[in-house]
Amino acid sequence: MLWSLGLLPIGAAALLYLGGARLGRIAVTASAALAVLATLGLAALALATGWGEAAYRWSDVLALTLAPSDAAAVFTLAVPLIALPIIVYAGFHELPPGETGRGGVRLLALLVAFVGAMQLLVLADDLLMLLIAWELIGACSWALIGYRWGEAEVTRDALTAFLTTRCGDLGLYVAAAAVFAGSGGFGYADLAALEGPLLDIAVAGIVLAAAAKSAQLPFSAWLFAAMAGPVSVSALLHAATLVAAGLYLLARLQPILDGVAWFVPLVIAIGLTTALAGAMTAICQGHAKKLLAASTSSQYGLMWLAVGAGFPAVALVHFVAHAFMKAGLFLSAGLAAKESGGYELAGMRLGRRLPGVAATTLVSSLALAGMIPLGSAWSKEQVASAASQQSLWLALGVALAGGLSALYATRFQRLAYGRADRQTHDRLPPSTPPTRGEIVALRSLAAGTLLLSILWWPPAHQAVAGWLATHWPPSHLWLLLASLALVLAGIVGGLLMTRPGRRVEPASASQAVVAEWFGLTALLARVAGAVTALARRLARFDDARVDAGLHATARFADALARRSAGRGETLADGLPGGLSRLTDRAGGWARSAQSGQTHHYYSGIAIGVALVLSLLVIGVLL
Amino acid sequence: MILSIALVVPLLGALALAGYPHWNAVQVRRLAMGTAAVSLAALIVAWLGFDPQGPQFQYVTELPWVPSLGVAYRLGVDGIALAVATMSALLFTAAAVYPVDTRGEPRGYYAWLLFMQGVSLGVFLTLDLLLFYVFFDLSLVGMFFLIGRWGHGRPQLSALKFFLFTFAGSLLLLLAIIGLYLALEPHSFDMRQLIEQRPLAGGGLYAGLVFLALMLGLAIKTPLVPLHTWLPQAHVDAPGPVSAILAGVLLKMGVYGMIRLPLSMMPGTFARYAPWVGALALLAIVYGALVALGQGNLKRRIAYTSINHMGYSVLGIAVAASAWGDPAARQLALTGASLQMVVHGLITGALFFISGSLWQRTGGYELGRYGGLAHQAPRLTGFTVLAAFASLGMPGLAGFVAEFQVFAGTFAVYPWLAAVAIVGILITAALFLDMLRRLFFGHLPASLGTFSDLNRAEGLVLGVLSLGIVTIGVYPSFVLALLESASGALVGGR
Repeated sequence: MLWSLGLLPIGAAALLYLGGARLGRIAVTASAALAVLATLGLAALALATGWGEAAYRWSDVLALTLAPSDAAAVFTLAVPLIALPIIVYAGFHELPPGETGRGGVRLLALLVAFVGAMQLLVLADDLLMLLIAWELIGACSWALIGYRWGEAEVTRDALTAFLTTRCGDLGLYVAAAAVFAGSGGFGYADLAALEGPLLDIAVAGIVLAAAAKSAQLPFSAWLFAAMAGPVSVSALLHAATLVAAGLYLLARLQPILDGVAWFVPLVIAIGLTTALAGAMTAICQGHAKKLLAASTSSQYGLMWLAVGAGFPAVALVHFVAHAFMKAGLFLSAGLAAKESGGYELAGMRLGRRLPGVAATTLVSSLALAGMIPLGSAWSKEQVASAASQQSLWLALGVALAGGLSALYATRFQRLAYGRADRQTHDRLPPSTPPTRGEIVALRSLAAGTLLLSILWWPPAHQAVAGWLATHWPPSHLWLLLASLALVLAGIVGGLLMTRPGRRVEPASASQAVVAEWFGLTALLARVAGAVTALARRLARFDDARVDAGLHATARFADALARRSAGRGETLADGLPGGLSRLTDRAGGWARSAQSGQTHHYYSGIAIGVALVLSLLVIGVLL
Repeated sequence: MILSIALVVPLLGALALAGYPHWNAVQVRRLAMGTAAVSLAALIVAWLGFDPQGPQFQYVTELPWVPSLGVAYRLGVDGIALAVATMSALLFTAAAVYPVDTRGEPRGYYAWLLFMQGVSLGVFLTLDLLLFYVFFDLSLVGMFFLIGRWGHGRPQLSALKFFLFTFAGSLLLLLAIIGLYLALEPHSFDMRQLIEQRPLAGGGLYAGLVFLALMLGLAIKTPLVPLHTWLPQAHVDAPGPVSAILAGVLLKMGVYGMIRLPLSMMPGTFARYAPWVGALALLAIVYGALVALGQGNLKRRIAYTSINHMGYSVLGIAVAASAWGDPAARQLALTGASLQMVVHGLITGALFFISGSLWQRTGGYELGRYGGLAHQAPRLTGFTVLAAFASLGMPGLAGFVAEFQVFAGTFAVYPWLAAVAIVGILITAALFLDMLRRLFFGHLPASLGTFSDLNRAEGLVLGVLSLGIVTIGVYPSFVLALLESASGALVGGR
């Protein structure tokens, strides 16, 4: 039964792709949305009626299993819920009004299939199934990022994103193999039973895979490459699917991964570093989507920290809050780009042109800033409280990351939707209002963000704790106040940074480096360049050197043949007689060799083999 | 009996084509397709009737031939042989269907193709060592003429290089086969006896030399680095369907030979050398992938990925032969290695058919000449994307099932080899995505403005192969049951 959660959207996507090209925009969007809605309904049904495990055997050793879990429950609901407005938006934002055509249908079908693959991922109960879904979402993201394949850079960026995340996937291969080596199976239960170095290897592999997908350091730079995709794709990747998969995996397996001593310090270190570095990158970025992308890494860093501190449920709640606000912000950035003609924040300040969008976006921006009373502020507080269980400094680090988030959120909001002076506004052509579908999508995500404010209400968050069978970390008033002060400071800083007339793009060379992930983007490009250069060199080596031995052998044989041909002519006259004599003698030799004694045979064969081998060796040496 | 039909019908077809000159091109092609399909159907029937719980070799036929030398017409299959033979017959049928420019000599082309089918199936179906060698060698002859007469570029040179190089391998193989034959008392070429009695189990120099000659001969055919340089040249100059046969069927003879001869007949000696064979396979995996990435020529690139993929197979076999390690893990690796043979045939076969289609339309393989074809030829793009993703090991497609098993099995026995081999899948991902990008995405050069999409025959062939790739990817149990029956006997039977 659980299979239907993943297979329904995948099947629907296939049907949509095959049959949708002739349909109009509204019909295609509606069918895609319906498929996701049905998935959401199925997920709710599965939770309500408690669907049990499901298995599909490939062989005695290989079995694909699905099973419900708390983390899976959150994700199976959240993923289609977030995907729904995104798909509606995608239909209205990317597709032409008339007949959809192959390209548009491909986009929507892939988005729906992505949801299905993600559902399989979160329901997986063994590493093989996980790996399958894990790679499938990678492939989906490649196809989605490369949606506009006509532009050469787009497909290159898609390749970069795919390769970086697949680099992490290797970790899952190793983890699965380690579990098999230790237990003969691939299940999470087998992983839990693992001991010794194999457990270390498996955990390392899983953390590697999660870090690459979650865009944690040092893998963060691929998110920038992923910006080549349409904005709806970015929204889905960041809010609910690809980047979320890494966090999901950590949260789901946290009780097992915790069994390794270095897990907690490592994950906390990665999380905190990414949270702070990502925030700095976002502060320096002048590209709207890249600013949001860096912020995604940063926010997921906070979630990692929560998992590391031993509170995966906190990370899950922050994931949901982040999903609503980040999806809303991306969709809004798409509208802003449509209006201003590009994603450069320097050319925006669209407050007068898109007042409605600006107001709606403000909700999401405040949520990103961690402003009370929005839900994300509560979940961020929980992260800080969880961190304070580990150490005071860690909690302050979280609060600082929160302050920086407030800074870049303010910066985004004001640069994108601040009010330009009236003269600039009047000079521009009249604006094209967003379509109703886009507005509905944006508003529903903002409404979700607002609704989550209920988390501040104690009975509400207690209910969530009960549902997830967990408890929240004890909170401290001083920490709350410190966080709030830092958020306010961040907002003030953001306002100061975005005073009219100040430069938007990175002001100095060092800021430009920070804006590109402290040089990670360039490093990634350099690694790729080095591997390609090595490959070219090896290819030349293969042609020139490895093949040379063969050519030399051929030349040698040729020369030999010529010489014997030259001599052979003179010999030819005497040959018939000589040949018969030779045959005679050979026959005698053969008779004597057939002694029936095995050691004769052995030595004969050995001599033959040695001859052939030495010929080969000579050939290679030549 | 059913195996004899599969083996003899294509040979009879070849004979008919060669002997009767009055058919026109269409009739010749139809006859070839029909004959190949009968052979395929016979193998499918054999597959359906194969009992995975039954004896290791089934459908055994034995007719005495030269009793004094212990040579006989012996046919019979285990699960691995049957799966590989069926895949080969499918590929030959596809090659007969695939439209190709026969340079006005359709009779010759299809006759050689059917001849190739007969002798190639012979390699997989026979249980007689001498017949195995004869078929193994005859396949070289057929390939020599197919490349030399219907190739492009410098076909004669490529064909000659291919023939001489692989023939040198065959000679080593012959020496080894004679060595095995002489070691068996009473002398016989019966594979079943050799597998049962394992005459060289005692080890020693003699066993070592026989093993070395066997492995060298088979490694040339597989091919393993550094014995691979005949391969790219032969591929580039061969017509598309012939390339598909070369990569899909002929390379398998090397790998299949490793399973059937050294692994089955001298496991003790193999166990001693297994780590070295594994290391060589690793070299093929990493080196093959890197060199493939460095190629600007479509066919050379695909050819080098074959070296990479066959490396996985050999790695799995080396793991299966290992002296230590959990038998379950070794069996998993061997199942993966043999599945890799089947899926590589389908996937790389499809990729070479595709490159044949590109050649027929543009006359060039340089990736730099292409671009932006996705709009012009959406079906070609779709099939290529599928085959490329299958080849880079995407789950849901066939390649993943094979490679995952090889990795998991290898890790349990030789963790370091597995850890390095895993890098191969990252490089193959890079090279295939780069290939897709350069062929189908970006700007369409003006010279490709009239590029036409796949015609019906091409679409049919690629559709069937893709169906196989997807089916094995999501429902591999039907092949795995067959392969596991064989790999269980091979690994458990020591």
